[in-house]
Amino acid sequence: MRIPCAALLGLMLLATAASPVQAGPCDAPAEWLDSDAPLPITAEAVREGALRILVVGSASVLGPGSSGPAAAWPARLEARLRALRPGLRVEVAVRGGRGLTAADMLTLLDAAANPPPHLVIWQAGTVEAARGVDTDWLATRLDAGLTKLGERGIDAVLMDQQFSRFMRANADIEPYRAVLRIAAATHGVPLFNRYELMQHWADNESIDLERTPREGRVAAADRLGECLGQSLAALILDAVADALVTRP
Amino acid sequence: MDGSTRAPPAAGDRRPRDLRADFFRGMALWFIFIDHIPGNWLGNLTLRNLALSDATEAFVLLAGYAAGIAYGAALDRDGWLFAGAQVVRRVGTLYVAHIVLFVMFTAQVGLSAATLDAAIYIDELHLDAFGQEPYRALLEALLLRFQPAFLNILPLYIVLLLQFALLLPLLRHPRLLLALAVVFYAVVRAFNLELPTWAGGGWFFNPLAWQLLFFIGCTLGYRAPDGARPPLAIRWHWLLGAAVALWLVFTFVLLFLGWHRPNLGLLAPRWFTGLLTDVDKTSLHPFRLLSILALTYLVAHAVPIGAAWLRSRMAAPFVLMGKQGLPVFCSGILFAFLGRLALEQSDRWTMQAAVNLAGLLSLVAVGALAAWYKERERAPRAATPQPVTPGRPA
Repeated sequence: MRIPCAALLGLMLLATAASPVQAGPCDAPAEWLDSDAPLPITAEAVREGALRILVVGSASVLGPGSSGPAAAWPARLEARLRALRPGLRVEVAVRGGRGLTAADMLTLLDAAANPPPHLVIWQAGTVEAARGVDTDWLATRLDAGLTKLGERGIDAVLMDQQFSRFMRANADIEPYRAVLRIAAATHGVPLFNRYELMQHWADNESIDLERTPREGRVAAADRLGECLGQSLAALILDAVADALVTRP
Repeated sequence: MDGSTRAPPAAGDRRPRDLRADFFRGMALWFIFIDHIPGNWLGNLTLRNLALSDATEAFVLLAGYAAGIAYGAALDRDGWLFAGAQVVRRVGTLYVAHIVLFVMFTAQVGLSAATLDAAIYIDELHLDAFGQEPYRALLEALLLRFQPAFLNILPLYIVLLLQFALLLPLLRHPRLLLALAVVFYAVVRAFNLELPTWAGGGWFFNPLAWQLLFFIGCTLGYRAPDGARPPLAIRWHWLLGAAVALWLVFTFVLLFLGWHRPNLGLLAPRWFTGLLTDVDKTSLHPFRLLSILALTYLVAHAVPIGAAWLRSRMAAPFVLMGKQGLPVFCSGILFAFLGRLALEQSDRWTMQAAVNLAGLLSLVAVGALAAWYKERERAPRAATPQPVTPGRPA
């Protein structure tokens, strides 16, 4: 009775292409693709026609379990932005790896120069939650990183953890999500609510890596990368639109 | 902080048990069970959603309160050495309980990884420190330097009690004890002193800072033989009550804008929501400390010590749980494991309801069982007249 994953993906893509913007791509609830905060630097770069994005994060930026880095969400984000804004030159650089903590990522953020990015997508808080690092440690480093990016005139989007039943059962995920949420709110940067999105997809059984039989797992991971990339693109473009509206 | 209704006990008169402490500790234990199951819907209704303090603060304060009562009486009866030794014996029990829970947790990680075939996640998460370096992980766990998620309250409690054993005689000089605790708390926060962990960074709960809340509880619980009033047992004054209520409203607004509705928070001035960034739980930020003390002040005065509803049928399960703090706490951690496993299988409302119902019933059952043991063990002793020993704290 199960529809093959790829077919389902195709159907969804068709559906999203055909229907107007009521729900987001991949049936993502629109509320999570609505940015709370504008991205003024990014908006400026989009207007000038060239946008440099830096993705910093732990393992998920490399798309583990998928068919390769080209199927991971950073690459899908790039593809989606190009598709939606044909005239825009988009470059997405990815820095990250397994087991990186926020402290490691601070060094990566500092190293990003020549030329500096307009926008940093900072995926954080997973490794800290898994290792049970004290939450204050994470909060301090996020605060330092976001403050510095602000001073350097670089926009930021924070991305939270993946939803996983295994993770939720074995790591105390909530305090770390709270830290990310509060950091985003206090620095006025958009938070990409990956956790809730993935939980939504798992609940309505559209993408559920943990319940996908082994043979379909790579396809499911690819689909996850595609949907995350598309949703993130929607969030960024919404924040860009917000910035253009709030400008005088 | 404490109710003003309590009269100093007459000599030789046993102080009536403060059912309020039992009831609220029972509530705290239930909330800890709920908050230990991420994804539990009831988790949106616990104290942490309303105030800048949660069940952990309540648990530590009431643990201090119970320790002040029980070991304070032991101190006055048997002296420092023996009372301190009793505290250390309790520490031993807690340590064993912690290690047993650690073993269960490790088994659970392995089991749930196997059932979900979640190699990708384990790999990313480094959750299997045990699988990679089993001997080292075991050693670090025994040294309390490796505390898996959800297993961080007992280590906190252990080190709190060790500090308490050392400072036990200062119960008789509560002002000095509180002054020392405040100074140490300030030094620990100012210089970021912490206990080390294997992974780097400090403990999830820093006992060197949390001691202040515990010792506040101790001084509130200790009843001096001369009937002196605890320094922090502040009488009711409507101005103070209003200030305390305002504080709680203020922190709720902060929580609302920074956490419940970040999109509204963006409209508030940055410095305001920014306050929340610094409020750490690890070293018990002063805001959190103030919040739990404020709540305690209001509750202690709103609920008189002899309130009839504390003896009602609705309150009975929580009073029972609160009286048997340690077994209920430990089994709560264990039931939360099982609850998490169950929600891993299904997240639907039926499972949510089943987990919460079974969880609460099991906690009450453990409380009843522990009370039954205690009662039966005490029964033969009642035949020969002996000084009554006060109940041990959780």
